[in-house]
Amino acid sequence: MTASAGAPQQAAAYPSIPFHRRIYGFGSVYGKTVRDSRLAFIIAAGMLGGLALVMGAAVGTVFPTPETRIEVNKLVGSMPASMVNLFGNATLMGEKLGTLGGYMTWKYGAMFALGTALWSILALSGTLAGEAARGSLDLVATSPFGKRRIALEKLAAHLTMLWLAMAILAIMVSVSSNTFGDAALGDPIPLGSAIGFALWVGFIAMCFGGLAFALAPVLGRAGSAAVAGVAMIVLWVMSGLEIGGPLVVLSPFYWTVDHIPLVGFYNWGALALVGVVAVVFLAVGIELFDRRDVGVTAGLSLPQLPADVLGIRGPVSRAFGDQLPRSLSWGLGMALWGALLASLVGSFSGLVAGEPNMSSIFGKLFPGYNFATAGGWLQLYAELFYIAAGFAAATFVSKWASDETDGRLEMVLATPVARARWVLAGGAAAILAVVVVTVLFALGTGLGAAAGGATAGDAILGSASLGLYAAAVVGIGVAIGGLWRTSLAAEIAALVVIATFLLDLLAPALDLPDWLHQLAITAHIGQPMIGHWDPVGIVLCVAIAIGGIGLGALGVMRRDIAR
Amino acid sequence: MAAIIRTERLTKSYGAHRGIVDVDLEVAEGEIFGFLGPNGAGKTTTIRTLLDLIRPTSGKAFVFEIESSVDPVSIHRRIGYVPGEFALYDRLTGGQTLEYFGNLRGGVDRAYRDSLIERFDIDPSRRFKEYSKGNKQKIGLVVALQHRPDLLILDEPTSGLDPLVQQSFYALVREARDEGRTVFLSSHILSEVERTCDRVAIIREGRLVKVGRTDALRDLAHHQVELRFADGAPVDAFANLPGVSDVVVEAHTLRLRVTGPITPVVQVAARYELLDFVSREPSLEETFLAQYGQEAVDVRAS
Repeated sequence: MTASAGAPQQAAAYPSIPFHRRIYGFGSVYGKTVRDSRLAFIIAAGMLGGLALVMGAAVGTVFPTPETRIEVNKLVGSMPASMVNLFGNATLMGEKLGTLGGYMTWKYGAMFALGTALWSILALSGTLAGEAARGSLDLVATSPFGKRRIALEKLAAHLTMLWLAMAILAIMVSVSSNTFGDAALGDPIPLGSAIGFALWVGFIAMCFGGLAFALAPVLGRAGSAAVAGVAMIVLWVMSGLEIGGPLVVLSPFYWTVDHIPLVGFYNWGALALVGVVAVVFLAVGIELFDRRDVGVTAGLSLPQLPADVLGIRGPVSRAFGDQLPRSLSWGLGMALWGALLASLVGSFSGLVAGEPNMSSIFGKLFPGYNFATAGGWLQLYAELFYIAAGFAAATFVSKWASDETDGRLEMVLATPVARARWVLAGGAAAILAVVVVTVLFALGTGLGAAAGGATAGDAILGSASLGLYAAAVVGIGVAIGGLWRTSLAAEIAALVVIATFLLDLLAPALDLPDWLHQLAITAHIGQPMIGHWDPVGIVLCVAIAIGGIGLGALGVMRRDIAR
Repeated sequence: MAAIIRTERLTKSYGAHRGIVDVDLEVAEGEIFGFLGPNGAGKTTTIRTLLDLIRPTSGKAFVFEIESSVDPVSIHRRIGYVPGEFALYDRLTGGQTLEYFGNLRGGVDRAYRDSLIERFDIDPSRRFKEYSKGNKQKIGLVVALQHRPDLLILDEPTSGLDPLVQQSFYALVREARDEGRTVFLSSHILSEVERTCDRVAIIREGRLVKVGRTDALRDLAHHQVELRFADGAPVDAFANLPGVSDVVVEAHTLRLRVTGPITPVVQVAARYELLDFVSREPSLEETFLAQYGQEAVDVRAS
């Protein structure tokens, strides 16, 4: 006996979905995914395009003559040989290192690729697995089209945004170099070369994003992102530091080491290989998603924190327990970078001490810094680490805010915990998380400085300035969350960090009015890495941290709790 | 009997959006009070105002005779609350979650907590994020119950629970009432309120439509009465009785709707030779639906 479902009943004809809704909006899975990724696209395209533009302007201003370009080559020569090619292969570039494209590749080439790949990893690990974890994928997957089509549409949406961002990057690189560069020094970058660079960045991103996408149906969002992220860093470091022995052949960075389009060197075959691997990963991801159960993952047994430090004694310990994993991640990451960079300060300062021209060049970028000393270089790195410390603080604010945005706060406030106490406890826990990051960074930087022949004590003490700044960012975020709404607290704190970073670094270099520079909190902290502390900055940071948390406590007492 | 919950013209607006309007409510000590209404009627808004999670636009809410926006912590010390939707800490196990909330309150009887865990059949060693929806709900219920609060405020508490666990929950609620504690139970499941609650309030579009005893609500509603006479149906004898309406005659059968006491109809019917008398008692659901179509009325607790 057979059964038949029969023909579906004729339904009333729906109006057709406009094309523009299918490509952006709620007309299709693709359109909705494009819509959902608009913010990430704006950030990624803005940062990539902005960095390209700023690089062109800064290099044109700071290194305007052939003599100054030679100083760049000398700086490269002063670095330990093993580290020269970490961000871009200076050895292969030879004399072209002195061009704008060469300098951009050497200083930031890998950063363009790593940053973009990070975006792809986060997007492609979460586009299906994240939705599955939330439960919304069940609804999408029961729509009248197959799982493979869902995966393809979601993937296509990310690739659309990725390659749009790459197009912007290519245009900005070319425009920037032609606007600010010196033709006599070989600065202008043809659009074709800029496209070659953007293709490399895009394919590297697709490759590691594809790895995350392939693993996500098995490992879930966090596991796949972690594996792809670690693979990316390891393979980049193996290629850049020329370590890892025969395993280095697994690295897409190694395959494309001689593809340096910004100085006119191309290896299209290697680039195609990266593209093919990326496509294979993406195809595997689609097939695995199609064949496996929706939302059922094997998981990844990451080490868990002991129950004692998860904090169940009270609001402060609970909030700190929530913050601890991310504070350890930030702290260890920054400590590693701090150690790496601090280990170079001895050789850099030695070189600058013997080259007055170079000291003058860097003095333009960072007025008041003495790059003939290790402390001056440490301070330069501290300036760069302010943005990392600030972002760490913004993520701590985000975690605190998630109590309300995720719906836990309602349960907590139904206990005898008062609203103000919740804010004070959350703020205190975020500050403790900042302390964890600062201590780890201080240890890493101190060890690196000692290894590089500099004084570890100044580096360790000076690292406290990062903690002060991060605490101030916590204060700003908590104040916004308490007074206004927690859902915007971390985002606004992150915007403050970006604005501070740009004001503090670019205002002096681009000769902008001093009052603009003074708006940056970090402009008031002094040069702690050489022992020069500005009491105004210390007081300012402490006041913002404590005052912000206090304001947040007052604010949350006056408003409704969100659901 | 003391009012555990009292609201005076409690109003909450979300900008241009309606929340609740002039809600007057009294919940007495030791009763199970049902708060019934369709989705979006204002049940959760009322509860969140009682707990000072949101502040009233106008009017006042008192719990234990304490104004909710003046000293919410004193109120929270004596209540247990399960929100309609909630999240907890994904990394903590169920047991750690219960311990944490026990620590926030203090004075939790571990033996009682263990007995609740057993009654709800919870595995406390699993992490919260690994629980099913129903098991997460059970954790929320134990969080609310474990310190034996004077007042339980439960917003659609049986959501996601299987029927067996629902029975355990109803038993616990009745035990709480028997111990003199008060339960405020919001629900849109009529049978749940009918089965569990002593009194019920019906809220519709932000306004309180009716408050009364669960069984009295049925009395307040109409009865559908059908009388079959041996001879012709005496329409005039019934049409003018108090509370009688919608009188329909079909041959020897008279159908009518009676609002309020049915005694006058029975007394008049007794004067005639009847072949059959059928009076159908309306369910709470019919009461609810009947009210749903009517204008709001201000009915004080009865």
